[in-house]
Parts: sequence; C-alpha cells; structure tokens
Amino acid sequence: MDFKLGRINLNAVAQGVGGLVFGNENSSSNEDSYVERLLDRISNGVLAEDRRAAITQLQAVVAESRSAQLAFGAMGFPVLMGVLKEERDDVEMVRGALETLVSALTPTDVARGPKNEVQPTLMNSDLLSREADSISLLLSLLEEDDFYVRYYTLQLLTALLTHSPNRLQEAILTTPRGITRLMDMLMDREVIRNEALLLLTYLTREAVEIQKIVVFEGAFEKIFSIIKEEGGSEGGVVVQDCLELLNNLLRRSASNQILLRETMGFEHLLSILKLRGSAYNFTQQKTVNLLGSLETVELLLTGGLDAEPGRDSNRQSNQTVLAQKNALDHLLMLGVESPWAAVSVRCAALRCVGALVANHSQNLDALASKMLGEEPHVEPALNSILRIILRTSSVQEFSAADFIFKCFCENNPKGQAILASTIIPQAHSGAHDPLDEDIKIPFGSMLLRGLTSSESDEDLETCCRASSVLSHILKGNIHCKERVMQVKLEAPMTSFGTPEPLIHRVVKYLAVAASMKDKNGNHKTSTSSGFMYIQPIILRLLVTWLADFPDAVHSFLDSRDHLTYLLELVSNSSGTVFTRGLSAILLGECVLYNKSDDRGRDAFMVVDAISQKIGLTSYFLKFDDMQKSFPFLSAKASQQRKPLARSSAASMSEIEDVEENNVSNLKHDEDPVLMSVFDAPFVNLVKRLESEIRESIVDVYSHPKSKVAVVPVEMEQKNGESNEDYIKRLKSFVEKQCKEVQDLLGRNATLAEDVARTGGVGVSGSDQANGGRDRVQVETLRRELQETKQRVEVLKSEKAKLEDEASMYRNLAGKMESDLKSLSDAYNSLEQVNFQLETEVKALREGKGGPFVDVKAIKEEGREEAQKESEAELNDLLVCLGQEQTKVEKLSSRLAELGEDVDSLLEGIGDDLGLAEDSGDDEEE
Amino acid sequence: MSYAYLFKYIIIGDTGVGKSCLLLQFTDKRFQPVHDLTIGVEFGARMITIDNKPIKLQIWDTAGQESFRSITRSYYRGAAGALLVYDITRRETFNHLASWLEDARQHANANMTIMLIGNKCDLAHRRAVSTEEGEQFAKEHGLIFMEASAKTAQNVEEAFISTAATIYKKIQDGVFDVSNESYGIKVGYGGIPGPSGGRDGSASQAGGCCS
Repeated sequence: MDFKLGRINLNAVAQGVGGLVFGNENSSSNEDSYVERLLDRISNGVLAEDRRAAITQLQAVVAESRSAQLAFGAMGFPVLMGVLKEERDDVEMVRGALETLVSALTPTDVARGPKNEVQPTLMNSDLLSREADSISLLLSLLEEDDFYVRYYTLQLLTALLTHSPNRLQEAILTTPRGITRLMDMLMDREVIRNEALLLLTYLTREAVEIQKIVVFEGAFEKIFSIIKEEGGSEGGVVVQDCLELLNNLLRRSASNQILLRETMGFEHLLSILKLRGSAYNFTQQKTVNLLGSLETVELLLTGGLDAEPGRDSNRQSNQTVLAQKNALDHLLMLGVESPWAAVSVRCAALRCVGALVANHSQNLDALASKMLGEEPHVEPALNSILRIILRTSSVQEFSAADFIFKCFCENNPKGQAILASTIIPQAHSGAHDPLDEDIKIPFGSMLLRGLTSSESDEDLETCCRASSVLSHILKGNIHCKERVMQVKLEAPMTSFGTPEPLIHRVVKYLAVAASMKDKNGNHKTSTSSGFMYIQPIILRLLVTWLADFPDAVHSFLDSRDHLTYLLELVSNSSGTVFTRGLSAILLGECVLYNKSDDRGRDAFMVVDAISQKIGLTSYFLKFDDMQKSFPFLSAKASQQRKPLARSSAASMSEIEDVEENNVSNLKHDEDPVLMSVFDAPFVNLVKRLESEIRESIVDVYSHPKSKVAVVPVEMEQKNGESNEDYIKRLKSFVEKQCKEVQDLLGRNATLAEDVARTGGVGVSGSDQANGGRDRVQVETLRRELQETKQRVEVLKSEKAKLEDEASMYRNLAGKMESDLKSLSDAYNSLEQVNFQLETEVKALREGKGGPFVDVKAIKEEGREEAQKESEAELNDLLVCLGQEQTKVEKLSSRLAELGEDVDSLLEGIGDDLGLAEDSGDDEEE
Repeated sequence: MSYAYLFKYIIIGDTGVGKSCLLLQFTDKRFQPVHDLTIGVEFGARMITIDNKPIKLQIWDTAGQESFRSITRSYYRGAAGALLVYDITRRETFNHLASWLEDARQHANANMTIMLIGNKCDLAHRRAVSTEEGEQFAKEHGLIFMEASAKTAQNVEEAFISTAATIYKKIQDGVFDVSNESYGIKVGYGGIPGPSGGRDGSASQAGGCCS
C-alpha cells in the first residue's frame, strides 16, 4: 500500500515538472498513468497473456506519443531490460520489449515539438546507452534464433549509434566478440543483412580500431560477395551501402589497403566498373554506385593518410596492381568513351586515370601508347582526352581531364618530349571547322588549333584550356621549351607575310582576354565565370615558359609593346590578385633570365621601367598579395570534395546537392579551376622565382653597368695628337660621362620618389632596395596586424555574446532549479500534512472506545475540582461553625450565670443545626 | 595470388618482446632495431608452401600494452594460429605467459594452434629464462615451442611454417570445418579444397558452433 502511494505521488511531481519544462500537454497525465499501469502489469502480472497484451499496448502508445516516450524513459528501462535479461525463453515478450525500446528511441512522426524542447528519444537513448551492460546484453541478443529479435536489436543499436556514437563504439569494442556478432549478421537474411550493413557503415566512419577488426573478420570478402549478389553497379541502394562501408575501411588505412590487395586483389572492385549490358542506361542509382567504386579506386591511388609511413610504396603497389588488372581500360571506358554517363562519373574516372599514372613510369608509358576506338577510327587516348579538354561544356570535366595531363607530364620528360614533338603547325585548312575532322591529326596539331582557333569567335575559353595543357608540357623541360619556341604561326592576315612566334600570339590572347573582361564586366554572361581563370591560366603558361629560359625572355621582349602591356597589367587595379601577382612574376623573369646585351631590352631597362611605371615597393607588394591568397586556395581545395555518404533519411537528394554546390562554387572567387592552376609544383615555382627576382633586382641596382669605360691610358694625350683633338676627345668623354651621371641621377630620383611615397626616411643609396623591401614587409605586417586586430575584435564581441547567452541560460537553469525546489518543497510539505492526516485517520479508526475514556477523565477532573472546591467550603463552614460554637459557649455560660436553663433553651436549636448539617452533606454529594 | 588455404595468425605477448620484429623478419626479411610501439593491431602477409600446396598466411600483429588488451581480444576468435612470444632476457615476460594463455583459451576457438616463442635468443649472455623452462611450460600447456631471434632470423621461418604445418595437419585430420571461416581458415579460390571426408566429418563434430 505504501509503495503504491509513493509511486502515485512521484508521478504527480513528474507531471508537474514535465508540465513546466515541456509545456502543457493535457493528455500527458493520462498517458503517464497509462504507461505506468502497463509497466506495472508487465512487471507484476501473473498471467502470461495479460503481460504480453500489456507490452503490445505499451509499444503502441510509446510509438505514438512524445509524452508516453517521456514517461517510458522515466520508469520503463529497468522493467524492459529485466525482461530481456531474465525472460529469454519467452520470445514474444523479448520481441515486444525490443520493439518498445525501438519505439522509445524513434521520434514520433506526428507533431514534432519545438526545437528547444528536450527530445524524449535523445534522452531515452542516453539513458539506455549509459549502461555498458545493456549494450552487451543487446549484442548477445544477436545470437537468438528468432528473426525479429535480431532485427529489432539491430534497429535499436543503429538508433543508439546515431544518438550516442562514442559510447556505443566503446561498448562494442569492450564486449568480447561484439564486432564478430555484427559481422555474422552480414551473412544473415536479407533484411537483417541490410540493417547490419548500415550499422557497420556508421560504426566504421571514425573508429580506426573497429575498422581493423571488421577487416579481420573478413569484411572485404563479404562486401564483394554482397555486391556481386546484388548485381554490381546495376544493384540498388545496398550496393551503395557496401561501397560506403568499403571506402570507410580503406580511407585512412594503408594496412587495410594492403590487406585488400594481398588477399582479394582488385579484380572484384574493377568488375564493378565494367559496364555490362545496356551501356546507355544510367539510372541515378547506378551513377551513385559508380561514383562510390570510383572513390574506392581513388582512395587506393592516394595510398592512405599523409602521415602514414609506407604510404608512397603502398600507393605505387596499388598503381601497379590496378594497372595489371586493366584499370586503365575500364577508367578510360567510363571517362572518355561513355558520353551517356553522368558528368560526375566521367570526371571521377578521369581523375582516377591521372592518379593511376602519376609518377609511375610503367603506367605513364601505358597511357602514352594507349589507343582508343575501333578500326578505322583508332586514335591515341591522349588525343581523345585533349579533345575533351578543348570541347567540353563542363568546366569540371575540363579540370578533370587537365589533371591527367598534369599527372602525365610531372617528372616525365620523355612523355613531355613525345607530346612536344608533334607540335608542328599545319597548313590552315581554310573554311573547315578544324575540330571536326581532327581524328587523324597528331596531338600537337590539335593543341595548336585549340590555341589558335578561338580568336575568330572571340571566345578564349578553348585557347585558355589549350594553354593549360601546353604549360604542363613545358613545365621544367628546356628541350620542350626550345622546341615550342621554334613554332611560328602564319599571321592571321596573311598580307603581312612574316610568321609570328607562338609566344607572341599567346601574349596577344592575354591582352584580348583583358579587353573582353572589360567589355563583359557589366553583364554577366554564362561564360563570364570563365574569365576568372582565363588570364591566370595564360599567365601560368608564360611564367612556366620563361622560367630558366633566356631565349623565351628574349623573344618576349622582341616587341616593346609586350613590356608596356605587362606593366599595365601589374598595376591594373581591376584585375584579380592572381593576375597582378603572376604578371609581376612574369615581369621579374624578364629581369632574372635576361641575358641580353642589347640596350633596348636588357635587365636594366626592365628594372628601370618597373621602378618608373610601378615603383618597386608596390611591385613587390603584388607578390605578397598573391602569396597571402595561396593558403586560402589550398585550404579550399582540401575541403572541396567530401566523401559520398548516405544518411538513412536523405540519399539521393544529398548527391544532387553536392552537384549543385559545385555549380555554385564556380561563381565564387576561388573557383576550382583556379585551385588546379595553383597546384603545389606551380606554387613552389612561383615562390622560388619570387625570392630570386628580389635578389636579382637588388643586384641590378647595386652594380650599375657603366656605359663609359674609363681607361686611364686614354686620359693621356696621345703621341702626335693635337691639343685640339685631345680636348675634343676629352670633351666627348666628359659628355658621355655627364649623360651617364644624368641617367643615374634620374634613376636615383625615381628611387627616392619611391621611398618618399612609401613614407620612409632617407636611406643611403646602396641599401635602398633593402630598405624598400623592409618597408614592404613593415607595411604588410601593419596591414596584417590591423586585420588581426579586427578579427580579435569580432571574436571578442562573439565571446561576449556567448557569455551573455551562457549566463542567461545559467539564470534560466537556476530558475528552473528553484522552481523544481519549490515544487518539491511543496510536495514535501504536502506529504507531511498528508502523513499527519493519515496518522490521525488511523488513530481515529483504531480507537472506537476513545470518547468514553475521555469522558471519564473529564469526569474525574470535574470531580476532583468539585472536591477541592467543596473541601474549601467545608473548611470555611467549619471555621464559621467554630466561631458559632464559641459564641454559643460564651452565650450559654453567660446565660448559666444569669440562671437560665441553657440545655432546655438549646433543645430546639440542636434540631436546626442538624438540618443545616444535612443540607451541607447534600452539597457534598 | 591463388592459394590452397589461407590461415589467419595472431602474434601476442608482452610489450617489447619483439612481436612486430618477428613479423617484419618473416614478411620482409629485414630487422629494424628501433621499432615504434604498435598501436592496436598491424597486419602482414606472406605466401608459404606446405606439402607442395601454396598457403597464404595473414598475420595480425597485436599491441602488447595492457591498454590495448580489450581491442586485441577481438582478434582471438577468428585466428587459426597464435604465436605467443616472450623475451628470454626479461623474466617477467615469461611469468606473464599464463595470463596470456588464459586470455587466449577464453576468447579463441578451442582448436587454435599456439606456438610458444622465446625471442631474442641471440642475446644469450643476458639470458634470464632457460630453454628448459620454456620447454617445460610448453609441454605443460600443450604448445609447440621454439627459441628464435628476429635479429638473426634464426628459427623465424621455422616458427611460422611449423605452426602452419600443424594447422594443415589438423585440417587433414578433419579437426576443422573449413567451410566455416570463423576458425581463421579459408579454402582458396585457385587452390585444391581439403579432403572432402574431413569436411563432412567435421561438420558433425563442430555442430553447435555454426549457427
């Protein structure tokens, strides 16, 4: 009875608190007591039927209502865990308990509460996962024979994993054979297998140790056998899940990659990429499956984490084994020869081709000699890839195909030479569209056509893409640079006659690109996003070309206009940081690699032009500006592609989102193409050039070349020379010197101006350049300091805001607590009162004879009091009587003296007295 | 790549007894005097030949540190063979063998073949456990025993191969149900499957284990 009483009171308080915290739900009190009654029937019921009915009803109500979930969380877990622990034999009860637990952890569909409310499902999963024992109990249930028991258990574990991943991972790791049991589920019936697959996918996202155990338990064999069973890339979402699990296992672990390679090999993986049956039919699911398996290939070609030892050797082995299994064919099939495949699949395949050949001599050779197509339309694969670059309408695809050439040319001078050797201008074929009949033309000619074809339609996109490929071919390879230097183009208007060097044409495009940008500046056309990268890509070609190659510098400076234009580009404020920076580097190369003695185009002339037109300080600033932007690019690049992941809710929509994001990224300042322009080797080249340029400019200033040779012997008058001649000779000598002094003064003046402009104080001439550099640094530092200050300000205000919020919440929490306290106080006092009343009632019930006792006592009291009173009166009376007695005695003695017969006189009085005494007695009674 | 059988091994024993070095010597035939602490579990593989049949060994090298014990236990059940290693120059590593063995008996399948290895036998001048003691312990607990040196490669091949030979013999005798991969044994794709009599016979023996 007491137990029952206590429970009811507790519920009332829980309701009160619940009402306060979670808002009022009218039904909540009903549901609470309903849940409570059901739990009571489950734990105390005697009839098996009744208990089963109760658990079914409990499941139903918990599945439907939030407040029932809440109520269940408050009191249900011990009851149901008890069922799971002690009533294993009663399959129906165990099923019911598991299903109820699943419901308690699954959000109700109807009426999702406002966000600030506590989610009962979260709370419940927290409560359940808190006990490590309960998770090992659940894992042990996976060995039950009953299908539903295993099924619900898996669902329950998945629900727990989404809410409390760390606890579950730990609990599973510490449970002996925990993973083993989950792995066994992969061989179970289909429904259970799929559920286990999802659970394992979640479990392996982060936890490295779980990944390893899963692999140890033969995950690879199981994954590939399921994929095969489900029809490979044609299969459904299960294949997608399998591939996600596979990628989780391979992503961060070289040793898991080795295991896959050493035990199963890559055949099974590559057979997913093999297109079977109707190659034209690409469903969305198939696209996703292909993307998943391409990611696997890419992961293998990355070789594991950056820091992992043996990553490079692992990557190389992967490259070798993949190539042995004809990966190149499959990838080219997908990337080049499947125009029906989604762009994202083609791009992923192309990137894989690049990664497959990078720094791997055998695979490089294989790609170089690879032929595609069927007789008689066979052509080298590299030609097909180049055609994709020149023609595709997708920037992403251009980027991916360009990546192949980047990988192909890196550390591969032989390959570069092969490509460069074919760059020979073909006679202009006139009116024909050159790209349409290029199946038979050599690689280099196609590239040249790409470079030159676009000026007619004023779209430099094609030209810029060809420039990108050309810069890969020239990168770090003097022979190729020389060879391409020889290329002369027919002037577009043949009337001029003289052939034009290719390098001049490229500079011209640079100028055209700038002018087009100006023109298109106002209205953003669909191609205008491309202008973000057209100039940088052309500039990269020129920078690459001129590096370490004086001949190119010479040819570049052939035309005075080039220098003028470049100077303009450096100081043009409408260009991007990268355009200005790269132009500045190019300008610097004209100093650094200038071997010319020709006064019109030697290093001094270029330096003078820089200091006059731009000013050295602001010239160097362009470097710094660009340098500062590099980290942003690389950071963005690493974020760019996230692994495909399927959450149980959103699968397809997410993938569509990914593609949309990519599109929107294009409009951003740092678009992905720009990122690929500034890849690591190019950034290193730019950095190297930059410091060398600084040095060489300082060098130019500190060793001005004297134009007039001063030979002491010539100062003397020669034999037989007339005085007049001597004076004339000396005069002209002095004139020359005077001119030179003028020149130097002029240069000095510009430098001084430059110094003045940057606000420096006079620095002696010799270390002016150094001083300038210091000032540049100071200025950059100052700017950085300012930026940092601002950032600190912002952070401070954010912090203050957060603190405010925190204190607000603290107050709120305090209030809640005090509310709770007052409630519980109220409850306590209520309980006390209740207790008192109760004891009274008890007392009342116990003693029916009570009133009589009281009456007796009162009577007794009354009597005592009356006795006391009457005694006092009696005393008084006695005193009175005594007095009367003495009076009587005195009077009788006087009467006796007087001779009266006293006795006879008093006879009658004695009777009266007796009467009086009687009445006193009456009173006493 | 094709093999008749694939055996899964684990290497267990106290930290610093040279488990990873034994593996490296066996798979790469080299010795690395300074080896990083193994974190969790590492993996290695090599092909050997027994009875003219190609057999692939998949070897899982576990971390000896106590903190990894709960993780490494997960690897016991799926292994066909275990190399239990101690260091002959450090007495305490020998004293801990009983607790390792208990762990193995508790978590592994009963038919797991265990090979006891006294490593670092090249350091005879610092020996703290005699060969006889090792032999005695092995005899008491039904283990195969060998002293080896990962540094000089002495007995390293022999240790891995004789363990494999023992497992192979057990298969021939029909001790294992080779179709059940949870014993750490797999019949290869390109290899010759085990004697059919052994398979059938063991299926009835193993009975309850394959659910």
